Amino acid sequence: MLERPFKEKPDFQHLRAVLLRERKDGPVPLLELVADPEIMSEVTGIPYPAEHAREFVWGNPNSLDPKTLELGVAFMDLSIAYSAKLGLDYATMTPLVPLHRTRVHLANTGVGREQALRSWQDEHVGLITTRDDFERYRWPSLDQISILPIEYAATKMPDGMKVMVMYMGIFEDLRQLMGLEPLAYATADDPELVDDVLEGLTRVAEHAVGLAAAHPATGGVFYADDMGFSSGTFLSPRFMRQHVIPRLKRIADACHRHGKPFLLHSCGNVLALMEDFIDVVGIDAKHSFEDKILPVEEFYARYASRIAVVGGLDMDLLGRGSEAEVRARTRQILHACAPGGGYCMGTGNSAANYIKLENYYAMIDETRKWNEEHGC
Amino acid sequence: MVDLQQLHEAILNGDAKTAAAVAQAALAQNVPALELIQTAMVPAMDEVGRRFECQDYFVPELLLSARAMKAALEPLRPLLAASGAQPAGKVVIGTVQGDLHDIGKNLVAALLEGGGFEVTDLGVDVAPEKFVETVQKTNANIVCLSALLTVTMLSMKTTIDGLRAAGLREQVTVLVGGAAVTRQFAEEIGADGYGENASAAVALARACAKAATVG
Repeated sequence: MLERPFKEKPDFQHLRAVLLRERKDGPVPLLELVADPEIMSEVTGIPYPAEHAREFVWGNPNSLDPKTLELGVAFMDLSIAYSAKLGLDYATMTPLVPLHRTRVHLANTGVGREQALRSWQDEHVGLITTRDDFERYRWPSLDQISILPIEYAATKMPDGMKVMVMYMGIFEDLRQLMGLEPLAYATADDPELVDDVLEGLTRVAEHAVGLAAAHPATGGVFYADDMGFSSGTFLSPRFMRQHVIPRLKRIADACHRHGKPFLLHSCGNVLALMEDFIDVVGIDAKHSFEDKILPVEEFYARYASRIAVVGGLDMDLLGRGSEAEVRARTRQILHACAPGGGYCMGTGNSAANYIKLENYYAMIDETRKWNEEHGC
Repeated sequence: MVDLQQLHEAILNGDAKTAAAVAQAALAQNVPALELIQTAMVPAMDEVGRRFECQDYFVPELLLSARAMKAALEPLRPLLAASGAQPAGKVVIGTVQGDLHDIGKNLVAALLEGGGFEVTDLGVDVAPEKFVETVQKTNANIVCLSALLTVTMLSMKTTIDGLRAAGLREQVTVLVGGAAVTRQFAEEIGADGYGENASAAVALARACAKAATVG
């Protein structure tokens, strides 16, 4: 159990100041890309059928059946209750974008939760692998994109809390639509097709992110786009610079136009693209770290003078380590990253359903104690 | 006279059409299949692995080269079977139970095949019993286990335990890899080796096969 909430009242303005590196004093905030429904349920004590969350988030907002809508409202309530219970400055919401995606498989990760299903993208089969597929594909019209969850949260969040918009990125969706293997072949066999799919996704993303960022309840956009694996980027940095980076800039601009911070979550080793993310795209913060690739404090030492740094407590430790180990590592990270400012504590990836709740609490509790010890 | 360097280059460049055509032409000129493999194709895939390791090649380049290798290998297969040529080793590979991630595993499988190994790919979410059953059936000497998540990699230990319980542990070298896996974890669960990337996994498999031959 958490001894007490991380803080008494949400203060998104402080979180924003940290993300924009406007101040070095004050408490180290907590920030996650997402929390899995199982974790939110355990934290709040509110039951939720986790396997249905995707139906709402990925459904067509214009034709949601009453049952899905009911589950969607319950999911938004759960997100807000979770943030309030932990004492977070934000609630995570996702715009509804009815994009037809490839098959998603579910598997039980075998952890100690009854419902610990994780979704996996089919890497071999894509919806668009030929020009004909592309011509047949039904892109959502821009007016089908909805920010209903943000509008709903605006009426429910406690004072001081803002929405952190989570948006799944164009490279991730490119992999979803084409399948990683067909995509890999297409980069050589039909690069124009890859470019056209990317453009379609960018058009949707620019609109959705702009719409979401414009809402007064939105505090920032957390853009999630996994571009790497453990030793490098999936596609060459040259390809990414030519086809992806300029489009990421358009999406970041759609957010910045409304004066909101744009945070990038990208898993894997994407160090080869960091200068592009910072100088070309103009990200305000970077998230997703693995000790195996580069411990967060080393990343902080390299880049914290230019962008904010979010999270970094390794998922392996949160999943398999002891509470004492998590506390010690949390201290270690805070010692390296907190004094210079521009740092938010959090997991290396997300509050996923395979981490131990007691470890997650230990990370939060230790950060609260650190803040109190430092007069924040 | 067929230029085998052209075959080498075609595989390196991921040009399946040229690779297959040169292999066909070489066979028509009575170049032994094994010579094609040993002098042009395996060295080409080794170079692909090296370039992948030093970030000169990425996932597409590796997959394209593997596709070219397969295209060149196709006309050679009947001849290899008839000659009784032995593979570099027999590998059973799969993503362990609870985990559906397989691109990394596929890259390793592609490089292993390119390196002359006979590979049985069990796919994803593979139960320990399936690994045991397949090792028994194929008489494999190498088992490669892949996992993405920190929690699913625990299935690697269950699989190794399963091989031990079936009396197969001494017969096989177990190599592990994947996003969350580390050398320390590999040692903890009693694996024989840890491949940091696809190329390193193949080098390990080759070293194991060589050690077994010498032994």
